[in-house]
Amino acid sequence: MIWVEILSRHRDVVARHRCDGAEIHIGRGYDNDVIIDDPFVAPRHLRVYRGEDGKLIAEDLVSANGLFVDDGGNPVPSVVIDGDTPLRIGRTHLRIREASHQVAGERAAVPAGRSWPLALGLAAAVIALELVSAWLSETTEPQVSRYLLPVLLLLVLLLAWTSAWAVLSRVFAGQARFERHLVIALTMLLAFSVYEEVCDVGAFSLSWRVLADYSYIGAWALFATLCFLHLREIGPAHLKVKAAVVGGLAVAVIGAQTLAQSEMRAWVTQQSYLHDLKPPSMRIVPAQTDAAFFADAKNLKAKLDRARKEERPAGDLLSGLDSDE
Amino acid sequence: MRLFALLVALIAATAAPVAAQPASNTAPPAPATTVPPAPGAAPAPVAALPPTPMSSAAESVYAAAKSRLLQIRTLVETADRQSSLGSGLLVTADGLAITNYHVVSQYALEPATYRLEYAAPDGSRGPLKLQAIDVVNDLAVVQLDKPAAAFFEFEPRALSGTLPKGERLFAMGNPLDLGFTIVEGTYNGLVDYSYNERIHFSGALNPGMSGGPTVTADGRVAGINVAKQTRGELVSFLVPVKDAATLVERARRNTPLTPADARAEITRQLTAWQAGLFQAVGDKGFRPSTFGPYRAPESAVPWLNCWARTNADAIPKPRALVSTTSCSSRTSLFIAGDLQTGQVDFTHSLVKSVDLNAFQFAAFLSQQMQPSWLGNWGKKRLTQQRCHENFLTFAGDADRPLLRAVWCARAYRDFDGLYDVSVTGVTEDRDREALVSRLNMRGITYENALSLGRRFLGAIEWAQGGTRTTGTP
Repeated sequence: MIWVEILSRHRDVVARHRCDGAEIHIGRGYDNDVIIDDPFVAPRHLRVYRGEDGKLIAEDLVSANGLFVDDGGNPVPSVVIDGDTPLRIGRTHLRIREASHQVAGERAAVPAGRSWPLALGLAAAVIALELVSAWLSETTEPQVSRYLLPVLLLLVLLLAWTSAWAVLSRVFAGQARFERHLVIALTMLLAFSVYEEVCDVGAFSLSWRVLADYSYIGAWALFATLCFLHLREIGPAHLKVKAAVVGGLAVAVIGAQTLAQSEMRAWVTQQSYLHDLKPPSMRIVPAQTDAAFFADAKNLKAKLDRARKEERPAGDLLSGLDSDE
Repeated sequence: MRLFALLVALIAATAAPVAAQPASNTAPPAPATTVPPAPGAAPAPVAALPPTPMSSAAESVYAAAKSRLLQIRTLVETADRQSSLGSGLLVTADGLAITNYHVVSQYALEPATYRLEYAAPDGSRGPLKLQAIDVVNDLAVVQLDKPAAAFFEFEPRALSGTLPKGERLFAMGNPLDLGFTIVEGTYNGLVDYSYNERIHFSGALNPGMSGGPTVTADGRVAGINVAKQTRGELVSFLVPVKDAATLVERARRNTPLTPADARAEITRQLTAWQAGLFQAVGDKGFRPSTFGPYRAPESAVPWLNCWARTNADAIPKPRALVSTTSCSSRTSLFIAGDLQTGQVDFTHSLVKSVDLNAFQFAAFLSQQMQPSWLGNWGKKRLTQQRCHENFLTFAGDADRPLLRAVWCARAYRDFDGLYDVSVTGVTEDRDREALVSRLNMRGITYENALSLGRRFLGAIEWAQGGTRTTGTP
């Protein structure tokens, strides 16, 4: 007994034919054992028979388009079938297996909906972090709407984002995997929230402004990771290509933002100092002595004198750059 | 009440119709602003009243002064049309005339773009050469292309400063390009708390009269019209005549200013002036003033104007109380339409949490640090602000709280060696109470700024020695 399986482009089984004869013919004509409706397949395209050593052999019946092994570029007259490597005739991918083909052992059953508690937990953590962060920066009379609206907006965006990936997943992988995508999105959102807080507090605690100024680099890296995880969830194929594309885009975006920021800084005077203070107890680094502080202040003079000669006064560029951020 | 003086040059190029006042009452006073009237502004219709007869004194003063008055016009070279107007007065037989620096500032800074011209009451016109400037006293001396048939003399009592308060004076000039006019007013002595001497003249000065003379009843010059206050009525200012006499002497003695040297000359004058100003600040020293648990420095110089404000009565009830003392010097100098310098100001804000927790209080403090410290003068004149910030502790003294300190500075593009510097310190010893102290210095050398800034931050200390408390007070 031999099974002929017709595969999709993503190597999922689309149709499966059972053949009991010793020799099988595959083609577009009705005198075949397996009929394939592919205009690029010959009426009698492929013959499968058992060779002298008992192994199955696929033989091209001198078709115009030939027989290919997997994604190979050159047609072959015949090939010994191993049961795993797909063959291609015309534009159709095939896999031929014997009844004795070994399959993997059974996987442990996962109860349905098991990722929901995880998703809910993550969502609760994200919302809690958002609310606490909003509460800690509250300086006027608290208003419920100021807490509620951002959280609702966040949830709506999260659902839209996850749905979009579920749709892509359904189209390309055949399964929506909504929960998996939701867990990925929530995990990365939580990571992003924590990262933002760490940068914010760290910039003060370490008195290291770079952390706040360039936090967007990490943010884009997290976003790229998020997209990569979604893509991996859709299909495990071409992981390196996916990683390269996502990584390349992230680098391009970071580069563009760095450029925009440096150009903005040339025109906008504000924010050239750290603007977020934290409670004194959050300080980690030791304070500078007055001698060191004013030595650093003195060193700014050389920079200013250079800027005085080099920096060009602002023109009308500002209006054009405003929308970039 | 704050002082909003208004330079009275008539500048039609920039078309802001009213005096620029700070958008909020937190901004430091902006003492001098040139104000252009709308070109060709139609006079408001006034009910026809019988004309009040001009006093006979004014009549004779004007008759005698007429041939000695000038209108000083700055023209755009390429368009050959006026860009700014002021007045002037002839002071020597060989044709030297006095006006305000701010009347000729466009030409002084951009001699390639503008040129100067005079127009006399008899209709004659001609080119002017810039001979000398005094940016500190807002004066300039220009040379006519012909000798003067008649010229003004300086009032000896004004030179010696012995004019009695209340003496009747007559200001002359060409307000709003409406024609030469004479205005009566009274001498009210020198302005109090002012570093540069200014005469308080109670009379109507209007844009276009800048640089014109204010004379006594016998026609001698007592002061040069320079500014008016936009809030208040008939509050005007004159430059003392002794400064004008000094500048005329200098113009006679020295070689005339070449246009290319004007910037260097302004740099030299500003540098010398700030040296004197900050020397005075340094000599008088700082006296400590108590703000809650802290003591912070206040300058002891007499020419500071200090005000206090609080948000204690704000509605809704504030969640942190802020009480602020801010002092600013009346030392602002006009350099260009888009640049004033010379002002020093400092603020101390004691911020105390009512029901904010430590994080919320820190967020509130961050907002207190926000406003643009030095004012937004054009980037044409100044570089970007560059800052250094860190936690700061003064070595070898336990009586001071640790500070979060920020030092920001920017350089003047046109004037080598002058900077605007802002120093801020926020106390970091308590989590629900803090003092935010800031010192802004405009048009200062870097060395002076460093020494003054260091002294300022170093004088922030605890009111009772050694009460080092951390955490909840």
